[in-house]
Amino acid sequence: MALLEVNKLTKHFPVQQGILLSRLGGHVSAVDDVSFSVEKGTTMGLVGESGCGKSTTGRCILRLYRATSGEIRYDGRDVLALRGADLKWYRRNVQVIFQDPYASLNPRMTIREIVAEPLVIHGIGTREEQKKKVQELLEVVGLNPEHISRYPHEFSGGQRQRIGVARALALNPKLIICDEPVSALDVSIQAQVVNLLEELQKEFGLTYVFIAHDLSVVRHISDRVAVMYLGKIVEIGDWRGLYDRPHHPYTQSLLSAVPVPDPVKQRERQRIILEGDVPSPIDPPTGCRFHTRCPIAQFPICAEEVPELKEIAPGHSAACHFAEPQPIKTQHVHGGSGEVIGAPAEG
Amino acid sequence: MADQDHRHKIDLEQVAEHVEEQVAYGLEVQGPVRPTRTLWRDTVRRLRKNKLAVAGLIWVSIVLVMAVTADLWVPPLLGDPIALDTTQVSARRLQPPSWEHPFGTDNLGRDVAARVVYGARVSLRVGVLAVSISVVIGLLMGAIAAFYGGLSDTIIMRLADVFFAFPYILFAIAMIALLGPSETNVFIAIGILGWPSIARVFRSSILSVKENEYVDAARALGASDPRILSRHILPNAVAPIIVYGTMSIGGAILSEAALSFLGMGVQPPQPSWGNMLAEARSMMVVAPWIMLWPGLAILTTVLAFVLMGDGLRDALDVKMKE
Amino acid sequence: MSTLLEVNGLQTYFDTIDGVLKAVDGVTFSLDRGATLGIVGESGSGKSVTALSIMRLIPMPPGRFAGGDIRYEDRSILEMSAAEVRSLRGNNIAMIFQDPMTSLNPVYRVGKQIGESLRLHKGMSRKSADVRAAELLDVVGIPNASQRAKDYPHQFSGGMRQRAMIAMAVACDPDILIADEPTTALDVTIQAQILDLMIELQQEKDTAIIMITHDLGIVADMVDNVMVMYAGRPVEEGTVDQVFYDPKHPYTWGLLDSLPRYDVDDKGRLIPIEGQPPSLIAVPSGCAFHPRCPYARDVCRAEEPKLSNLGDGHVAACHFAGSSGFVRGSTAGGAA
Repeated sequence: MALLEVNKLTKHFPVQQGILLSRLGGHVSAVDDVSFSVEKGTTMGLVGESGCGKSTTGRCILRLYRATSGEIRYDGRDVLALRGADLKWYRRNVQVIFQDPYASLNPRMTIREIVAEPLVIHGIGTREEQKKKVQELLEVVGLNPEHISRYPHEFSGGQRQRIGVARALALNPKLIICDEPVSALDVSIQAQVVNLLEELQKEFGLTYVFIAHDLSVVRHISDRVAVMYLGKIVEIGDWRGLYDRPHHPYTQSLLSAVPVPDPVKQRERQRIILEGDVPSPIDPPTGCRFHTRCPIAQFPICAEEVPELKEIAPGHSAACHFAEPQPIKTQHVHGGSGEVIGAPAEG
Repeated sequence: MADQDHRHKIDLEQVAEHVEEQVAYGLEVQGPVRPTRTLWRDTVRRLRKNKLAVAGLIWVSIVLVMAVTADLWVPPLLGDPIALDTTQVSARRLQPPSWEHPFGTDNLGRDVAARVVYGARVSLRVGVLAVSISVVIGLLMGAIAAFYGGLSDTIIMRLADVFFAFPYILFAIAMIALLGPSETNVFIAIGILGWPSIARVFRSSILSVKENEYVDAARALGASDPRILSRHILPNAVAPIIVYGTMSIGGAILSEAALSFLGMGVQPPQPSWGNMLAEARSMMVVAPWIMLWPGLAILTTVLAFVLMGDGLRDALDVKMKE
Repeated sequence: MSTLLEVNGLQTYFDTIDGVLKAVDGVTFSLDRGATLGIVGESGSGKSVTALSIMRLIPMPPGRFAGGDIRYEDRSILEMSAAEVRSLRGNNIAMIFQDPMTSLNPVYRVGKQIGESLRLHKGMSRKSADVRAAELLDVVGIPNASQRAKDYPHQFSGGMRQRAMIAMAVACDPDILIADEPTTALDVTIQAQILDLMIELQQEKDTAIIMITHDLGIVADMVDNVMVMYAGRPVEEGTVDQVFYDPKHPYTWGLLDSLPRYDVDDKGRLIPIEGQPPSLIAVPSGCAFHPRCPYARDVCRAEEPKLSNLGDGHVAACHFAGSSGFVRGSTAGGAA
């Protein structure tokens, strides 16, 4: 059984208009009908551009936002219905690491207070035991346990992110939502934190939902990946299938837009450059939300019918009327899975 | 040339940002190499680098010490600030500054210096007490508005707008007319009139702190609302109140002086800088020093509080960068 | 090709309350007409300050030029008068900043802001500047340009604002365009549009570009020559092929190895650079990279390495660069 199941999750934010007497003026559909499941001990990557709803999805799972509709199941239990002690149990099991290592640590608390806070909230251990645990955790994330009484502003970005990881680990959670955990870090430090997350996963059997806009990082850390566009999952699959044979034209153009650090490859690469900007989520395009920028859109179908997520290979689905594989990679593809899958799926 | 200026302004802002980043980075990456300092100690360190703020602090301390210890040294050195020796009035009145009376004497032969020192007692008392009232009401109202939002937010903030819409001094005069003129009623009136600004500052401060990810992080840990409030939001939201409150003391001193000048505040013979000015007005031509000293006292003391507030603002600005 | 810009041993320092911050310490490079130079480095490596120094946009104090020279067409930029620098900026050397949200003035119409430098440098009339501004917006791919020129910046999306910034930068046909992380604040699909636009404009006008970025992918994509910076100093310079395929400095190795890559089939473990970047106020002795360098020896701690020539314009500031047996992964192990 999957540890986390997200079913038809939808989140709308009301848009307020007027100054004196505010009234509702429509809503932003930040997440629309999103479904996926995450197996225990694996990493699910959520990737997409700003405004695609990946962070909102994470915050709904964390119960920081109230989902408008849909279902979230953790360990078989209905997360959205949890109250009181049950909710506390959920919070103990599901933790979060945020993007901004500057904003995610309270500047007026010492490292000891920050990392011990989960223990204090859940009433675990005496003060001395808590202190010992904090020191252990700091050691686990690669910080000097002697720095326990320092303040966040005395640390660099990468070190602060480690403090955030230590806090998330304090309650021995099973699932961690990582919301852009390395986006604010320099590449050399980013690699340190990615490696740390991987080691911790192995050591503690953690399950991750890894939210990021960097396709390379998501590919590196994820077992399965979902690509989001304007609140919807447009393609979902295991990392190899999705990156080697992207079917959705959005995934294809996204992958082709990322410059690779290899000058020769970069010179040879065919790029798909999308026209225009991402439309406003207040008034998303009808039909397929991507049709306004899609290089292969056909009318009227793409502007009228919302494409369903259809399985195009085992465990690999795309939401496009004309989904067609396009191997972007110029490098060798591993044997066996290297064949290109057949004709475009019928719309 | 205005256009040109505007263009270069853009550039310089960019530069400032870039440089700040660089500078901040240089300090920040040292990380654990840096000696441990609490944020408050950091604040003090930065405050001490601000010369104007230090000057303000020194001046306020001098005024405070003089006012508090006045009973010990003023009567023997300068004479009684209130009681008059009726037999000697004509001989002593309106003397220009001298060794015996450094600030001169007033219309009734009392030592102006003694009266200025006792006036400081009134000013500081009214300033501190009035601001305390504003801060208590303002914090409460601002916190309610920010936390509960919705209807209570609308009601409190519109009420604050109503307060802002009235001419301040007129409102104060109306209230004192209602309560009767006295020192107590002056600080009550000023205090009550001051809450809307504090409430506004506090509300917006809370709202911006609330957006920080550490608040979300605490929520995701299962922290209760009171805990989030007391541990995460309030400690980070009070800094602007400290700044604004300090500056407000200056404002309250000024208001007290204005009210006393108009005869609505501290009543003679009790000295206050405001009523001293009022009394000196008619003597302005023959004895300008009577007006000079209380005027200077108001100016320097109010300025000192404002400078202190300004310095505190820079010093408390954690920004988490440095 | 002729040398357009020469930077020689540039040192830009800032006097701070905690000491002298050596933001740029000995940067040397030259830029030919129509060429693209990439400056790569992490935050605090001095790449932005290098750009600002070229534009003479360093606020003084606290900043000061402690040494070196910048020559544009054989004139020293550092010795120019304020008026000369003003006519240089925008006219000969233009700059694009990272954040398109704050680089446009919100109270002026976009077209006016673009026309401004034309009026300033080219003495155009208000009317012809407006017309030219609309043309420029069209050139940078803003649809319906003459209408959009009348919009205010908040009516533009992030990508469009960056296009407007580019229009403003290229308005006077500058010889050099300095782009400081021009796409960092943008989404990848928009980034691709902007990079494409820059390349197109460059080919049309033969503009030289200095591309400042932390993204090695962008460098590989559009740059001829690369300068890698660390702690305010250049550590390696060469053509993009030399630096990517035959890097000689351990820091460059580290940067390349720490990147996750989706174009390589294998998902090996990333090899990070251990430790934290140094403070620019207390730069480590000798080679600034030695505390994080797995190959460091005694000489690295004691002596600052000079940029040594490795042939064909490839230089590196490492005591062991080019010596036989000093190869990538020889001690770190497992490098890709």
